[in-house]
Amino acid sequence: MTHEHIAAVFDRDLERIQALVMKMGGLAEAALNDAATALEARDGELAERVRAGDAALDALEEEINAECAKVIALRAPTAGDLRTVLTVMKIASALERCGDYAKNLARRSLVLAEMPRVEGAAGSIRRMARQVGLLLRDALDAYARRDAELAREVRARDEEVDQMYGALFREFVTHMMADPRLISPCLHLHFIAKNIERVGDHATSIAEQVIYLVSGALPGEERPKDEGATLGQPGRGL
Amino acid sequence: MQTPKMTASGVNVHYGSTQALFNVSVDIAPATVTAFIGPSGCGKSTFLRCLNRMNDTIAGCRVEGRITLDGEDIYAPSVDPVQLRAQVGMVFQKPNPFPKSIYENVAYGPRIHGMARRREDLDEIVETSLRRAALWGEVKDRLATPGTGLSGGQQQRLCIARAIATAPEVLLMDEPASALDPIATAQIEELIDELRASFSVVIVTHSMQQAARVSQKTAFFHLGSLVEFGETGQIFTSPSDPRTESYITGRIG
Repeated sequence: MTHEHIAAVFDRDLERIQALVMKMGGLAEAALNDAATALEARDGELAERVRAGDAALDALEEEINAECAKVIALRAPTAGDLRTVLTVMKIASALERCGDYAKNLARRSLVLAEMPRVEGAAGSIRRMARQVGLLLRDALDAYARRDAELAREVRARDEEVDQMYGALFREFVTHMMADPRLISPCLHLHFIAKNIERVGDHATSIAEQVIYLVSGALPGEERPKDEGATLGQPGRGL
Repeated sequence: MQTPKMTASGVNVHYGSTQALFNVSVDIAPATVTAFIGPSGCGKSTFLRCLNRMNDTIAGCRVEGRITLDGEDIYAPSVDPVQLRAQVGMVFQKPNPFPKSIYENVAYGPRIHGMARRREDLDEIVETSLRRAALWGEVKDRLATPGTGLSGGQQQRLCIARAIATAPEVLLMDEPASALDPIATAQIEELIDELRASFSVVIVTHSMQQAARVSQKTAFFHLGSLVEFGETGQIFTSPSDPRTESYITGRIG
């Protein structure tokens, strides 16, 4: 939106809400990366910090919802303003979920620290987490810049995350069959991988919100999606 | 798409040497509330007044183009503007009851158009019109008192009763609630929604929220041109023209 409102306070309200969402995005991305680092390094202290940090994300989401409710009640936003408010609320909710997943990863990393290591798994998880963290960052950059092109790219890139999850799934199955003592840690690791894959889905939904914000319409189902990948079986869509 | 109740195509309006409307084409759908919005001087009221030839009364006003009601050209020489205004009724911004009794305000139109032969018929039209205007309960015991003694909101509902007493097919409303308090405004808006079952309603309003609340179709006028015309929901969530967006979101356009 190039023009400013006649009521300048309306501009300030909308800018403030969007700044809160960007802050949430930064926290969610950091939480995910920190949790994955804690997992690989078996760093209980860092994992604890991630766990405790989730409250800040929850509080930010509440603040955003309250501010949006105020704007709706006082300003009756329409058109692009309305879409800004609607998308802010959805994005905040997606980021809050991402925070929950990071917290869950941190909790499981504490449990995993007491179990035998699964060869190579923590490194793969950390790489996947970094990849998803970048996806989240790009989705939020697309939001800040109103860049529908970047948003479409994010949507397409989620496929890579699904492939990574599929590969990990097969790896864990192989480990569990080879050594039953690894069943417990592999189950935890699998939940972690699944949760990171879910964060990727949230990044995709944020990207879709960007497309709605810019164009007024949600994107259709043109996204290439191999259903089999998220079921751990590439090429065998169910 | 339903057959439109009224169709305007290529309408130009000049006041003397000044052109007020440029090539406006709009379909007014039956049983629908159509809102005209736009900044002051955009031509929305001028266009509204073309729909029942109210502009005929303004010296130096020239209307070009074609406007039809049920397919009939309303500017054809054979059309009697007084008869037309019974079919296409109008309610104004400021309540303007006649300085007569409540009863006479409503009875006037049906009487001059010869719609009632007996007193009982006229009584029935008056009661029905006042009921439909949601005013009957408040005035039924004082029909002989002056219409000007009612509150502003009641006066406006009286004017609506007067407008619908001639059984019009289209009701034009020029800022019908801008002089009313929020309660009276809500009553008028509720009334508009009920009237929609029987008439096409066209409303000019400066209140964006009112347009959003009461209409199904919205037309945005700017500098004498129709910029955008579409479903109200679409206009207020994702207008396609940046000028519409600037106006409805309250930006300096």
